[in-house]
Amino acid sequence: MKDQNLLQLAEELVGFGKKNGASQVEVSINQGTNFSVDILQGEIEKLTEAVSKGLGLRIFVEGKVARASSSDFSKDTLQKLVTNAILRAKLSSADPLAGLPEKEPLTVDVTALKIYDPAILEMAPEKKIRAAKKTEAICLADHRVKKTFGSTFSTYIGERYLSNSNGFSGSFKRTSCSCGVSLQAGEESNLFDEGWYDSSVNLEGLESAETIAKKAIHRVTRLIGGKKVESQNVPVVFEPPMTAEILGFFSTCVGGNNVYLKQSFLAGKIGEKIGNELVTIIDDGLKAGAPGTEPFDGEGVPLRRTVVMENGILRNYLLDTYAARKLSMKSTGNSGGPNNLYLSAGSSTPEQIIKSVDKGLFLTGTIGFGQVPTTGDISRGAFGIWIEKGELTYPVAEITISGNLAQLLQGIQMVGNDLQFKDSITGPTIKVAEMTVGGK
Amino acid sequence: MVDNRRRDFLRKSSVGLVATLTSGLWFDMLAKGIVPPHSTTFFEERFGVSREDMKKILETALSKGGEFSELFFEYRINNSVQMEEDLIKDSSENITLGVGIRVLKGAQTGYGYTDDLSFEKMKQTALTAAAIAAGNSKVSIADLTQKTSGLKVYDLNLPMNEVKLDSKVDLVKQAYMAAQAYDKRITKVQASLVDELQYVTIVNSEGLFIADARPQMRMFVSSTAEENNIRNTGFKSAGGRVGLNFFITTETPQSIGKKASEEAITLLAAVNPVAGEQPVVLGSRQSGVMIHEAVGHSLEADGNRKKTSIMWDKFGTQVANPIVTIYDDPTIPFYRGSYNVDDEGTIPQKKMLIENGKLVGYLQDRLSAKLMNMEPDGHGRRQTYKNNPIPRMANTVLAPGNASVEEIIRSVKKGFYAETYQGGQVSDSGKFTFSVNMGYLIEDGKITRPVKNATLIGTNVQILNEIELIAHDTAFFLGTCGKDGQSAAVTAGTPTLKLRQMTVGGRK
Repeated sequence: MKDQNLLQLAEELVGFGKKNGASQVEVSINQGTNFSVDILQGEIEKLTEAVSKGLGLRIFVEGKVARASSSDFSKDTLQKLVTNAILRAKLSSADPLAGLPEKEPLTVDVTALKIYDPAILEMAPEKKIRAAKKTEAICLADHRVKKTFGSTFSTYIGERYLSNSNGFSGSFKRTSCSCGVSLQAGEESNLFDEGWYDSSVNLEGLESAETIAKKAIHRVTRLIGGKKVESQNVPVVFEPPMTAEILGFFSTCVGGNNVYLKQSFLAGKIGEKIGNELVTIIDDGLKAGAPGTEPFDGEGVPLRRTVVMENGILRNYLLDTYAARKLSMKSTGNSGGPNNLYLSAGSSTPEQIIKSVDKGLFLTGTIGFGQVPTTGDISRGAFGIWIEKGELTYPVAEITISGNLAQLLQGIQMVGNDLQFKDSITGPTIKVAEMTVGGK
Repeated sequence: MVDNRRRDFLRKSSVGLVATLTSGLWFDMLAKGIVPPHSTTFFEERFGVSREDMKKILETALSKGGEFSELFFEYRINNSVQMEEDLIKDSSENITLGVGIRVLKGAQTGYGYTDDLSFEKMKQTALTAAAIAAGNSKVSIADLTQKTSGLKVYDLNLPMNEVKLDSKVDLVKQAYMAAQAYDKRITKVQASLVDELQYVTIVNSEGLFIADARPQMRMFVSSTAEENNIRNTGFKSAGGRVGLNFFITTETPQSIGKKASEEAITLLAAVNPVAGEQPVVLGSRQSGVMIHEAVGHSLEADGNRKKTSIMWDKFGTQVANPIVTIYDDPTIPFYRGSYNVDDEGTIPQKKMLIENGKLVGYLQDRLSAKLMNMEPDGHGRRQTYKNNPIPRMANTVLAPGNASVEEIIRSVKKGFYAETYQGGQVSDSGKFTFSVNMGYLIEDGKITRPVKNATLIGTNVQILNEIELIAHDTAFFLGTCGKDGQSAAVTAGTPTLKLRQMTVGGRK
């Protein structure tokens, strides 16, 4: 499966760049096979299968950088891209901090990371089609489901190669598969779209068609009849995917670029107490079988486990080589963003968390883009279930929730024990003391 | 993870940023005389793909009983220059090459793609796509006949790909410095210039052969202002299917930089919105995003064919206040969303969607048009050769009305005025949310304090029926629209308008 020719091509281009005047060169190549089938009303709507590849290039000439990329692998094109990049770099501004990472030995055993499952490679297309059809069929059989937008089953098998002029040369293979369905339910004047998608690096870890369908049906039908509530400030319970969404915003705010550019409210706050005692956030790029696990990042820096927030205290940012140098810190192997970023599990069950709320919102979905890293402000459209006296009562919709990430992290009063590693950003159920619900 | 059905529209395009020396490969090719502009023989001359080969691949694609086959060849050069922290920090040159092969049978699509244009690889890919059908070939391939679009919606004078890198660097610096000099409270500026040239050739089993060469350019500036520990960011982008001329005839880099800083400074004095239902005025500057999200998406044919759009059974009926007329026009010269030919070879036309409140049209691609017994209208678009075409908007417009802006503002006792947006999102069920970057309070018929952190939320049916007054100061918003995982360059235009009632989210 591994294509030694591609690693060799990367190494040759690095040499070509050095020979033609670059101080440093980095070449990365991705090659992968995609398969996906979309099912609509029991029929195949679309079947896609393709092999594709791409090459990325970074050139440094005395602290001046230029990049290039191509899916055209002809020798002429690639060499021309290198020489163009060298000329272009010379027209950029010198930045003494720009450059490749220092060479760091790769000590990790790639097979122990469990990110490649040959079973995905061997899975027959018919089986994938059957799984997608079954998922949709179960949903269609539920009379509360008004429509399906269809189900999808997809797989990816890929290889990554990286070579640089500091002597790094590495490659690895990875797989992933996913299955999901989107549904619509409700009355004509008040429709809801929801669904469920599961993904996994190995076939065994993928939820069954039954489980996915059941979750999707539950997620959409519980919203039927959703209505606005009065505008008010209340506690909000985040369902795990919503916790993950907040962590996604958090990862933007601790992302190296936003920090050194002071585009994040968390810039300059290392060592400060930002969150509640209960809040410990970790990025673990080496967690076996997790979706964001890889031996090295896009610059060849080994992935690692980084404690970003420890009992509410900000300990580290997610850094690539350049951002690390700007902040006089060390790269955390996050050139590709968060690897497996999670909020550590607490001890409460989701039921206990809901029970603790006298009046509040159980948040199950959001819509919109209202998250501002500079201030930490959050303002989004929201869906969920209203909580009264510790019980889930009626669905709410067309409301907004707003607050501020700093206040939200301080306001986390309970953390659930329901943490799962299905997505590269993940968290358990949490309860936040207060957010503003905008409604009537 | 949870829901991939949403459509979104991002103001800040996250396009990788880039630039070439004299224009990289393209210029070199020009110099050697290999690739004349508008070349219909681009893929033949550059990659040796003859029309005979194309015909054979189309045949292979139908060998298992498909009804229609199509090849979409793409070669794209994208360049960018980026400046921040007073440095030209990055530049890049990105090449996209490949062919997408599509086979249709009824409502079913088989799709394959490859970045290798050798005959063998294309044939293999065609066989993969062919597998959607099972049976024997019944369709014969018509001879490929070259067709040309009469449209000329690109400004090809002084194309950006022929502009030297040091000139591009100058343009970026001008914008950057104007943004920085605007006010001493501006603490951070980022400026970038992205240009692109995309060659496409589309051939299909009905004998179509058509080519297009599409330029695209965009300058983007973001400015951050800081005072008393309050930080806010303003944005401005400008560009279109244009070249260097744009900065002379339409907007200077200095003006783009200044506008980004102006917004950041205004936001320093901004208050949080008053949450709750209230009259909302949408300013003309960027509120086109609202028309795009709230109305446009629901009128794309695929969602109506599959009956997932709220509008599927409303064709011919009154869906809005009679003062509302909305259309989409891919043929407006030089606009970001315009094109001479769509991504399945159809020559586009202005398409009326809602006329005096009545639903009169859907945005069509080939597949939906055929299955709905309607005509394709040139709105089949795709992000790259890796994607199958789907119905998309181009330049979506709410037609002007009779009210004046003053009259509209005066009519609101207590309400909200939306000026600029971070983005918006809509689900198929028609529920939408917009994040307003900057708005104003309206108090006693006057615009008063600036507002930040506001969210607008509602449904498309509601917005269409709540439009009460429309002015005639139409302005356009440049954006990148996302749908089914594919992005497309679009614009959306609207005059200032008043919504009787809408929910505004914010802190209490």
